Amino acid sequence: MSDRTYEILFIADPNLGEPEVDALAAQVQGFVEKEGGRISKLEKWGKKRLAYNVGKHREGSYVLLVAEGPGPLVKEVERRIRVTDGIIRFLTVRVDEELRKSERRKARRSAEDEKKKSRQASRGASIEAEGVRP
Amino acid sequence: MSFSGFGGRGAGGRSAGKAAAGRGGAAGKEQGKRYFFRRRKVCKFCADKIDYIDYKDVKLISAFVPERGKVLPRRMFGTCAEHQRKLTLAIKRARHIALLPFAAE
Repeated sequence: MSDRTYEILFIADPNLGEPEVDALAAQVQGFVEKEGGRISKLEKWGKKRLAYNVGKHREGSYVLLVAEGPGPLVKEVERRIRVTDGIIRFLTVRVDEELRKSERRKARRSAEDEKKKSRQASRGASIEAEGVRP
Repeated sequence: MSFSGFGGRGAGGRSAGKAAAGRGGAAGKEQGKRYFFRRRKVCKFCADKIDYIDYKDVKLISAFVPERGKVLPRRMFGTCAEHQRKLTLAIKRARHIALLPFAAE
C-alpha cells in the first residue's frame, strides 16, 4: 500500500525555549522515522495565544509536521506523543485523500473551462460560416 | 459579525405581499416590492473554488464563526451542504487544537 500523508500539529509548552521546541520537533520526527515514515515538512508557527486554556496554559508554541508513511504509524506516534512531556495538545489529520480530491476537482474544472472556451470558439466559427452560405 | 440579508427573509415574502394587495395603493405596492427583494446568497467556498477547507486557516474559518464560537446554520451564510459539512469538520478540528474557542468566556 502506498504511503499516506498526515499532518501532525502539536502545541508545546510556552515556557520552553526555542531550542527545546526544536528538540521536541526532532523527537516527534524520530517517532515517525522509527515507524517507517518520513517528514516532508516542518513548520514552526511560534508562540500563539490559545483560544481557551489548555491545562493552565494561556498560550503555546505551535509546530506543524507533515509526515508520510503507512497507516499504523499514527497509533504508535500518537502514543509516544502522549507520554512526551512538554506537548500539551496535538492533532493528527490524514490529508492525502482530501488533497487528491481537490486536485482532481481543480483538474476537472480547468478541463471544463477549456471545453467551454473551445465550444464558444467553434460556435462563433459556425455562425460565421452560416453567414457565408447563400 | 454581520448577518444582514437574513432578517425578514421568512417573515417578509407572503405576509408583506398580502398587505400590499389589500391596500392596493401605490405606496403598498412599493412596500411589497421592497419586502420581496432579497439578496441571493451564494456559497463563498463555491464562489472562491475552495475544495478543501483547512482547519489551520483561522482567518478563513473565523469569518463563519461568531465570537461565541458556535457553528451557525447554513442559512446564515448560504453555504452549500457540502461545504457546510467540510466547514463544520474544520471548525471542530480547529477547536481541538485551540485555534478556535469552544465557548465564549
